Amino acid sequence: MNRLARELVHRMEALKNKVNELLESGGIAGFLGLRNFGTEPFPFLFTRDTAAEVDKITTGAVRYPLSKILIRIAAVYPDAIFGIMCRACDERAIIELCKNSKLRSDKVITIGISCTDDLVQACKCENPQPSNLVSGEAGKKEFDRSDVQKIASMTLEQRFDFWTEQLGKCIKCYGCRNICPVCFCDVCTLEDQPLVKRGEIPPELPSFHLTRAYHMAGRCVDCGLCEEACPVDIPLRTLYRRVRESVKELLDYLPGEERDKVPPIQVLGDGLFEIRD
Amino acid sequence: MESSSRFEPKIIAFCCNWCSYAGADLAGGMRLKYSANIIPIRVMCSARVSPHFIIRAFQEGADGVLVAGCHIGDCHYLKGNYIAIKRVAILRDLIDFLGISKERLRLEWIAGSEGDKYARVADEFTEKVRSLGPSPIKRIPFREKAVAMVR
Repeated sequence: MNRLARELVHRMEALKNKVNELLESGGIAGFLGLRNFGTEPFPFLFTRDTAAEVDKITTGAVRYPLSKILIRIAAVYPDAIFGIMCRACDERAIIELCKNSKLRSDKVITIGISCTDDLVQACKCENPQPSNLVSGEAGKKEFDRSDVQKIASMTLEQRFDFWTEQLGKCIKCYGCRNICPVCFCDVCTLEDQPLVKRGEIPPELPSFHLTRAYHMAGRCVDCGLCEEACPVDIPLRTLYRRVRESVKELLDYLPGEERDKVPPIQVLGDGLFEIRD
Repeated sequence: MESSSRFEPKIIAFCCNWCSYAGADLAGGMRLKYSANIIPIRVMCSARVSPHFIIRAFQEGADGVLVAGCHIGDCHYLKGNYIAIKRVAILRDLIDFLGISKERLRLEWIAGSEGDKYARVADEFTEKVRSLGPSPIKRIPFREKAVAMVR
């Protein structure tokens, strides 16, 4: 067994022990993580009844927006405390979901796992360190915003042609929305008939993507799942990253990074009135 | 008379009922002459202007969009214009990144007594948009292109 494999086993042991410990003590009603079915990792809710399955727990080589599933589980069991396996990006999403009243921060226990260096590099992750790290070591930062800079340095016309070409590839699969950990509305404006006509591809340029990008303002946690999910390789992350940056520049708010700050777009007026109850 | 081939932009102005629309009304009452390219749409508050309205206006071929509301502190609904300012600021950045000049979207505070300001903003903004030329969205041949690809 080489060093890497040993390290991996060690990480998994730490995760399994933590999950078993929490389940046995009754600290959590269930743990939402990934389980190997055959060779493929799938999301799985480990409970006390299925504690034997904890042995098959896996972190998976790829990412999965588990927080999206947790929203549904938490809606059915609002009083139960759930543990969730989360990478740094998942944790940022969970922070945003708590602020949007989709999850309750006192009902979620995050169990942080670190990303491998390969993954951090592939994601160009801004901040790969979850706060409650249980398994693995804190990864190195690999922040690179050259993609945004490259487009920002183009002229207006070049930019417009670039985006028209890119967004024109869209087959309107809604994959970006479906995988997005911070897209949680019950009714989606992108399925609203007067705004988006059914059965037409590409969708209207650029309003379809402009609408979605606007909705990412103050929410996007820069996980990059949208771009990974996109079957036609539209550089969506670059677009949403720019939105994230402009919210930071204009309103001084970085989604997912600031636990105690009220999202400025949710604040009605100058901060005296809040929309949240 | 200027040449008839001059580009005439189409500008949609969302005016809030309590200040800006009254301002526009006053401009008319004062017999002020201003650009006829501005098409005002009355909304109850500048916060009523959802970003979707602005995006739709551009999509349907507007060359510029003006959002006009009460001055900060004067909002009929107390805080509506604070919402408008945040929305427009973010959307301006966003359309600029997509290659539609941020100058095409403008936010102005126009009070009910400022008929002259309405006329001035209308003229200024029309000139600005005219200098920018037609909106790039109008030159996307996407529908034709998509149909051609299917064939």
